[in-house]
Amino acid sequence: MKDSDPHSPQQEAGRPPEKDSLVPAGLGQNAVGVQKFQRITFLWMVIAGLLFLAFSLDGYFLRMYQSRFFPTTRPEWFYAVLTLHGMGMVGLWFVAGMAAVSYLLANYIRPPLWASWLALGATLIGFVLLIVATTKGLFGTGWYFLYPLPLYSQGTWPPWATGCFFAALVAFCGAWLIWSVAMIAAILKRYPLRYALGWHYLSSPAGAHGPEVPPIVLITIVALIPGVAGFLDAFALFLLYLMQWQVKGFVANALLMKNLTFFFGHMTVHATMYLGVAVVYELLPTFNGRSWKMSKRIVLAWNAVLAMVLFAYFHHLYMDFVQPRMLQIMGQMMSYFSAVPAAVVSIFDGLWVVYGSRMRWTIASIFMFLGLMGWAVGGVGAVIDSTISINSVFHNTLWVPAHFHTYYLMGVVIMLLGFASHLGLEASGLKESRLVRRLVVTLFVIGGYGFVLMFFWSGAHSIPRRYAIYPHELAWGTHDARVSVVFIGIFILGLLVYLWETGRCYLRIFRAQLRKSHMGLFPW
Amino acid sequence: MQVEAFYTFIGISVIVVGVFVWVALSTRHEHEPRSRSVNRLRAWFLGVLTGGLVFAFVMMFPRMPYPRRWQKPDRIVYAVGMQFSWALSDHPIRNPDEWQEATYAPPLKIPAGSLVEFRVTSFDVNHGFGVYSPSGHLLGQVQAMPGYVNNLLMRFTEQGTYWVFCLEMCGMGHHRMRGEFEVVPRTEKFARYLDLRQGP
Repeated sequence: MKDSDPHSPQQEAGRPPEKDSLVPAGLGQNAVGVQKFQRITFLWMVIAGLLFLAFSLDGYFLRMYQSRFFPTTRPEWFYAVLTLHGMGMVGLWFVAGMAAVSYLLANYIRPPLWASWLALGATLIGFVLLIVATTKGLFGTGWYFLYPLPLYSQGTWPPWATGCFFAALVAFCGAWLIWSVAMIAAILKRYPLRYALGWHYLSSPAGAHGPEVPPIVLITIVALIPGVAGFLDAFALFLLYLMQWQVKGFVANALLMKNLTFFFGHMTVHATMYLGVAVVYELLPTFNGRSWKMSKRIVLAWNAVLAMVLFAYFHHLYMDFVQPRMLQIMGQMMSYFSAVPAAVVSIFDGLWVVYGSRMRWTIASIFMFLGLMGWAVGGVGAVIDSTISINSVFHNTLWVPAHFHTYYLMGVVIMLLGFASHLGLEASGLKESRLVRRLVVTLFVIGGYGFVLMFFWSGAHSIPRRYAIYPHELAWGTHDARVSVVFIGIFILGLLVYLWETGRCYLRIFRAQLRKSHMGLFPW
Repeated sequence: MQVEAFYTFIGISVIVVGVFVWVALSTRHEHEPRSRSVNRLRAWFLGVLTGGLVFAFVMMFPRMPYPRRWQKPDRIVYAVGMQFSWALSDHPIRNPDEWQEATYAPPLKIPAGSLVEFRVTSFDVNHGFGVYSPSGHLLGQVQAMPGYVNNLLMRFTEQGTYWVFCLEMCGMGHHRMRGEFEVVPRTEKFARYLDLRQGP
């Protein structure tokens, strides 16, 4: 593997310098807009980095608690921190994905800057409310707040904490819904739906009967349509909660509420995943000068994903035997076959783009490449768990956080950390240290995969998820958690080194912008 | 089944990681892959993956845990979850008082070899009815939902104390929510009954 030196393959090959590959091509027409996008994207990435560290430390606390390192701390704290960790991570990486994609889409469209600012404000308010609800109010239902647990606190959390948590959710979902719709509208303004979904590529070999559509446009649309459906669904859920809370005698249907909850959660997580993959489609080829252009294959794959993701969420309800059997079977079919386009098109293409190329390996390119691997490995665990007969012994064991941490933490999160690193380096003009790069990647891989492997191991040995303390019959869960603590420590060390390395780039950018703003050039 | 699933996962993951390492190492020497061989490889991969998934789907389909109409249980057990205990009884549990009474009752005794139908529900929030073997392995589960009854059929052959843990987060006492029952040696009479049911 080569280093990112001034004689990079791209420069040797006479390609434009790397900086130009990141700065959107439409800069000439849209220079002011792009600069504004840079500013808010820097801000989003800094917030993402800091909150990621905070929520990772929350996760560290959870595994330490399960290791019995805090015997005097009440279990209520475990469940409250669990809620903060889950909701925080899900929300954080959705907005980070949106910010990254908005920035890269400025190449092709005019993404809604106002919506990005609105989302930034509302997301920060939401995080404050979430932190207050969980740390002050000890609200502890887990991130998907399964009905009717928020209304049955058993005195653990006061009613205001429930209100505070739902206010946070309303702030999140409201802002993200507006942001998603505004983004879809911005895409459709430039590419009508049939073009945005690439259908014209199906009727002609290279989309001759329509504009050239970059894959990032298609994938963003495919991510945001289910995302919007999920946020709308969340409002129906909130309304039903509100009615039960305030209207005497009204009781919601538990099965309906469960379907609404899992639809919302499933769509949000998958939208985030696809936003990360969209970033990889757009950026990975810039490290070796190869192209990853739209093709009939990509159109077919992502349109299939759009159809399947809407129905795959039924796999969350396999253990609700009263759910109609056909929906359960459909859940398994959709979960199984949504793996095909992901593996045969996106992951295979990603490997092809890298194979035998003069790759410029940086933290960013390595993270995007490894992110595809995490998506693939996590996907294997997910497909196994989506088999109904296996789910009956894996559902709500640690196998579940095992597979979603693999494709989330070792997938989309490191893809987006790669984006943040690339953006920082390119905008600051600083060079990446070879030693630091090797250190970061080594610590992330050993710490991350060690951590998720312990989850898989525990899940295969029937350890339930979300247990503050393991009963003595399942005492090996405590030992597994202790081993896990070592790996999380390694991962967090890697994260600190990454933040140090990337942070110095962002510090330099902000200092430069501050200087310019003093000169009246960059009014914030 | 869990161990087989774990090693299947490890096996496939090792192949995936191996492919990624191989591709990463290929960047040490620049060479353009021929698109024809890439397309052939992709077609082969598509075939293997789709075939593998269809095979797994067909093979695992009959092992779905849902009750079949033709399955007649030897014993019906009523199970109700409430924060933070399981109540198991041979009689329907209709209200919180009966639930409390059942939680203090001695563990049910089930003859080995019985096909048991658990009729599972909840009086408050969602719970997960997870049945663990005496050696601490999860044998099967179903959700306990307020307003619904889920039926779970299980056959117990191994004797000993079985545990029911909650597998759906249900509040601050989630980790201490439990129930238990015992599988005892079957009597001669019950063995004859089972033989008669199974037929010649």
